[in-house]
Amino acid sequence: MTNHWNDFKNSDVILVMGANPAENHPVSMKWVMRAKEKGAKFIVVDPRYTRSAAQADLFVPMRSGTDIPILGGLIKYIIDNKLYFRDYLASYTNASFLVNPDFKGPGELNGLFSGYDIEGRKYDKATWSFQMDENGLPKKDPGLSNPNCVFQLLKKHYSRYTLDVVSDISGSPKDKLEAFYKMYASTGRPDKAGTVLYAMGWTQHTVGTQNIRAMTIIQFLLGNMGVAGGGVNALRGESNVQGSTDHGILFHILPGYLPAPRASWSDLATYIEKNTPKTKDPKSLNWWSNRGKYITSYLKAIYGGKATKESDFGYAWLPKLDEGMNLSWLMLFDAMFKGKYEGFFAWGQNPACSGSNAGKVRKALGKLKWMVNVNLFDNETGSFWKGPDVDPKDIQTEVFQLPACSSVEKEGSITNSSRLAQWRVKAIDPIGQSKSDAEIVNELYFRVRKLYQKEGGAFPAPILNLTWDYGRKNAEGKVEEVNTHLVAREINGYYLEDVFDKKTGKQLGKKGELCASFAHLQDDGTTSSGNWIYAQSYMHKDGKIVNMMARRGKADPTGLGLYPEWAWAWPVNRRILYNRASVDVNGNPWNPRKAVIKWNAAESKWEGDIPDGPAPPMAQEKGTYPFIMKPDGVGSVFGPGLADGPFPEHYEALECPLQENVLSKQRINPTVKLFFGITDAATAGAAEGGGSAEDIFFSCDTRYPYVATTYRVSEHWQTGVMTRHQPWQLEMVPQQFIEMSPELAKEKGIQNGDKMKVASGRGSIIAFAVVTDRFQPFKVAGSTVHQVGLPWCFGWQYPLHGRQGDSSNLLTPTIGDANTMIPETKAFMVNVEKA
Amino acid sequence: MANMKTYAEPQPRGMRLLYILVGVGILAALYRFTFGLGASTNMGDDVPWGLWVAVDVLSGVALAAGGFTITAAVYIFNMKKYRAIVRPAILTAFIGYVVVIIGLVIDIGKPFSFWHPLVMWQYKSVMFEVVWCITLYTTVLALEFAPAFLERFKMDGLLKVLKFFTYPLVIAGITLSFLHQSSLGAFFLIVPAKLHALWYSPFIPYLFYISAIALGLAMVAVESVLAARTFKRPQETEILAGLSKGAMITLSIYLAMKIADLALAGELGLILTSGAASVFFLLELLIGVIAPIALYAQKKVRESVNGVLLASSLVVAGTVMNRFNVNFFTQAGTGTFYFPALWEILVTVGLIALAVLAYRLAATYLPVFHGTERT
Amino acid sequence: MANNNSTSKGVLVDLTRCIGCRGCQVACKSWNERSAKPTFMHGTFTNPPKLNSETYTHINFVEKTVQDEPVWHFIKDQCMHCKDPACASACPVGALTKSPSGPVAYHYDRCIGCRYCMIACPFQIPKYEWEKSLFPWVRKCTFCSERIANNLVPACIKVCPTQVMQFGALDEVTAEAQKRLKNSPGKYVDHIYGKDEAGGTAWLYISHVPFEQIGLNTKIPAQRLPDLTWASLNKIPAAVGGFVVGLSLIAWFRNRGNGSGQSSPGKEK
Repeated sequence: MTNHWNDFKNSDVILVMGANPAENHPVSMKWVMRAKEKGAKFIVVDPRYTRSAAQADLFVPMRSGTDIPILGGLIKYIIDNKLYFRDYLASYTNASFLVNPDFKGPGELNGLFSGYDIEGRKYDKATWSFQMDENGLPKKDPGLSNPNCVFQLLKKHYSRYTLDVVSDISGSPKDKLEAFYKMYASTGRPDKAGTVLYAMGWTQHTVGTQNIRAMTIIQFLLGNMGVAGGGVNALRGESNVQGSTDHGILFHILPGYLPAPRASWSDLATYIEKNTPKTKDPKSLNWWSNRGKYITSYLKAIYGGKATKESDFGYAWLPKLDEGMNLSWLMLFDAMFKGKYEGFFAWGQNPACSGSNAGKVRKALGKLKWMVNVNLFDNETGSFWKGPDVDPKDIQTEVFQLPACSSVEKEGSITNSSRLAQWRVKAIDPIGQSKSDAEIVNELYFRVRKLYQKEGGAFPAPILNLTWDYGRKNAEGKVEEVNTHLVAREINGYYLEDVFDKKTGKQLGKKGELCASFAHLQDDGTTSSGNWIYAQSYMHKDGKIVNMMARRGKADPTGLGLYPEWAWAWPVNRRILYNRASVDVNGNPWNPRKAVIKWNAAESKWEGDIPDGPAPPMAQEKGTYPFIMKPDGVGSVFGPGLADGPFPEHYEALECPLQENVLSKQRINPTVKLFFGITDAATAGAAEGGGSAEDIFFSCDTRYPYVATTYRVSEHWQTGVMTRHQPWQLEMVPQQFIEMSPELAKEKGIQNGDKMKVASGRGSIIAFAVVTDRFQPFKVAGSTVHQVGLPWCFGWQYPLHGRQGDSSNLLTPTIGDANTMIPETKAFMVNVEKA
Repeated sequence: MANMKTYAEPQPRGMRLLYILVGVGILAALYRFTFGLGASTNMGDDVPWGLWVAVDVLSGVALAAGGFTITAAVYIFNMKKYRAIVRPAILTAFIGYVVVIIGLVIDIGKPFSFWHPLVMWQYKSVMFEVVWCITLYTTVLALEFAPAFLERFKMDGLLKVLKFFTYPLVIAGITLSFLHQSSLGAFFLIVPAKLHALWYSPFIPYLFYISAIALGLAMVAVESVLAARTFKRPQETEILAGLSKGAMITLSIYLAMKIADLALAGELGLILTSGAASVFFLLELLIGVIAPIALYAQKKVRESVNGVLLASSLVVAGTVMNRFNVNFFTQAGTGTFYFPALWEILVTVGLIALAVLAYRLAATYLPVFHGTERT
Repeated sequence: MANNNSTSKGVLVDLTRCIGCRGCQVACKSWNERSAKPTFMHGTFTNPPKLNSETYTHINFVEKTVQDEPVWHFIKDQCMHCKDPACASACPVGALTKSPSGPVAYHYDRCIGCRYCMIACPFQIPKYEWEKSLFPWVRKCTFCSERIANNLVPACIKVCPTQVMQFGALDEVTAEAQKRLKNSPGKYVDHIYGKDEAGGTAWLYISHVPFEQIGLNTKIPAQRLPDLTWASLNKIPAAVGGFVVGLSLIAWFRNRGNGSGQSSPGKEK
């Protein structure tokens, strides 16, 4: 989230697309309702009429997987009607930058951008570059009229997204689309703010990243980034999932979004060199130029005294990715399915139900030698060997079940979607033999280390050199009880020596004290920080140690609901990211009534939220650009960083009801990794994509004629492991169900409550029919398309051994987003029959 | 019991069936006490009052109204010709009330707490009043019927004492009957938004009372005919004719009240426009009121045993229907269909069998019918 | 009966704010330690489909199509806590009482299980433990009286994320309801449900949809329902007096010729 939960109340128009806050983030609706009561408009765009839609001023139905056409239509509407925020666009984004004249878009190349390599299914991005001047700075046309400038290219690109085309693809009625466009584009005025709340409905597509990119472009056009009530806001799916990504739980990043080292980056210097972007523009802060300080401080945090200049700060001990290696979810389970792993920790997850194409996941688990299932309860993953159609005799996997305690049985921080790290105390002791994750890791670490000490092994250094100062150690050197506060302090980081500002010589911190800001971190080994973005979360303040995350101050000096003394938000307690874009180049707020920050010229300082960097306003000599995380300091309307194009282009889902993409000859995203067959013919074999028979798909196939999507319900949590066993929750939503329109039900003779068999190319499940006007058939490319919906909160284990329906992920395909590899579970094809 | 003194020829016909029905009823009641109302009845949150309230209580009490009507006729209005049926009427009433009380204990959720209303007073409750009246009136009926016992066992001293209290007991009985017969209707005063307007009326207590009088007379007539047949006694044709006339007059008053009530409320139109409610309402009125009036109005019917039996049976059926309708149309709003469970029917049938059995035993072994003393 | 609006607590339910998350339903079960009953997906999300002895409150999901557009309303249902409750007046043993602080409370030790409260309640609220053989309870929303007594808000209100319910003195929440109707013309139906129904209730509803369309009974008269019964019951003393005197006089008049008091019932002279 660029903004934060409470900030929704500052919006004038709230768009919910690819999310369903009323059901999945009910508390967030408190702030949506606040905005509504002040007159804000609330728009929901969704394949089905949800509980969120029930509160909407405008509901726009859409076929799953057609977000880009709808948003592209909005971009066209804003440009055609000149509703964009011109000053913002010209000053704070790359709209004025001139692009390489050789760049060509899908309008010219039939669905492809210039530089496509058919064999490699990837782009050579040489033409996706900016024209540079003699100083190495991008050439600009502040008038936005040069045909090669980003703005004109954008206009050209989306000129193809006419209302007719958009409606034809999405099935959304034109009048509703227009009403939506008009309502949302009204926030292009400087004193209006529009925000978007999205979730997995946008990300879990083969074009997931581009869905969000499209919205980002809209927010730039309307000047909605950095302002109160604006931003692009991801409603994270779990209370602490933001924390887990912050701390590097994904394969490609270390804590603090430092890229995971690769085998080709042989030493720390190379790593820093490869990962430190450069700019010649003095007005660009280019925050990532500090990369070296952060990685060095990180290495100091984990390897302590062993991380010295001589040992290259232990860089060699970090695990490395091979070149081109991708260990995201789909790849990992594909490798497991192919027998490439011996062991697997399923830690706080239930892949046998949550993984896309869960049938393949279940088979993959059977290829393991051992699996450790760490969870509050047994689940379909831990018991996969006795699941449906599985003969335990055939399974050789040894499963260890480790009972974990719940979040209220331990102390620590959680970081929510607002990047707000809140300290929580322990309510009760862990029940039975259950342990906190920290204790389980502590045990694991100690035993693994002991084995390395005893047996040596291939590469003991990464383990043996780790610092592990999380509490009192016993005679064997084992931490008796993990003190979470010590973990939090290590994450924050210390001054390992007296640290001085290299330019001014001013002392920044005293040796041994907790670091007060990531601005103090050094690349010479004099500071440590387990996660640079958390520096300041647990700091020394006036000689005293303060756990900033435990603060509960309720002061709200701006009146915007920033609550700067409530817990602590990264970075450095900034509540709204890119807030320098909320003011004009002189530091005056675009909307004085909702000023996030403003420049106090008299005292030469910023007031309000913590600004994105302390520099004065952009117009001043020492002023800086607002988007400090970008090397060029401005927002990317043109985004060459992505795999599938600098502008979002519509491609159909891997499985879709259409033979052809209405917009071009490219049916699906040309850069996605294919596990099975070739792009346009489902008849091709598995070998071509390197996949397996389990990865089969059927697009525009009469055997699977209905568009399906999956979702959660308020009453259950994720795969339901924590809620299906809870009788109160189960009472409300007791069975796997399938929602469908009365038209489809009539066609198939289906009544409410009927037991249905829902099948895709990968598998089938039992579901009970919910026939409702909240679903409606779509008119798409001249024909009628039916959409159905399935929650994914059920599993075979409980209730009633699957007779109430198994996981809907048994139906979902093996395909992921071109950039992130997030599986496409929100648009696929099924058939529905009475069971 | 061969050596027991009898007042009528013991009639074995049908006795075995009665014993079986009572026995099955007891088993059904045990089932209810063991497994609860949920398992043994089709009642539920949508229909909390079922067959047992409709028949055993609402109808049972009304069916026993003969007790106070006949005592009033004989003692208050000094209509001597009905003396012959005073004791059978009191017996019927007494048995009726005992059966009602048994039915209530089976029906209430906490049978062991049946005595609570007697000590935990909540005087604003109609139910409280009804429980008290039924308790008191059953006591009065016991005392009114006690002479039959005392005569049988030749306890003349006590008999004298009781005789002294005859009039106070009669007056108390009639007063108590008015109170609770009307209050069974007053149960439904509190549900203006639930009970269908065809039945809901601020005058529903009076409608219940008047219909109870008519029913009491009709019931005495039915019972008189059947008793005479069972015990092979001559039919009291003169009494039957009188009862018929009384019932006809009362029913006419009831009909006039009912129509006036609907007319005053401006709801006459509902009679034909209320769907299922209209059907049930018209059936109830045709069977229980209009047809009997038409029959009773004919002298040849009033003088014919079978005619009286038919007309009076219609009154019984119609009034029971009325009590059913009032009860179920109060609960119809939820749309839940109710039909009694087997166990409910068995208990109710068992209670009716018990009443018949008790009547037959009493009539055999106690001086119920006049001039029947035998040795 | 304590009907004072300033001592009684009340709740304003603003249906425009409900998002149907059902946190209230679970919080109620949690605080009141209620269990769950088996349910099915029967076509709507309303589950359990009706209130029962284990469910004191639930959200009724009302789905409609208006001008070809789907609409979905979420209606919280629980005891209305009438100012002068029909159930309490119906109960023969005082097992239901209206507390001065607002709750209509149930006393199991007094209850006999006659279920007249269920018949009497115009809102279909009291539910019964049908599965229990000899010692069942009548069950319904308690207004979390033990929480109120300790200056806590009822459990359902505590958890509601969108502040659908406002808890306070009954006259305060009534004023708030009136204020909202006045300040947002056109937003609400011009009626405060519960202000007059059944003589007034401690829970008040305001809505953007006509109440009869969302399952609330709009035929309940604006009258304290116990008054209807009392109008009949308060005639008893007079009736008793009238009957005793009247019957005595008639008996004396009709029997004046034949030596009264000589015959006993059932015995022919």
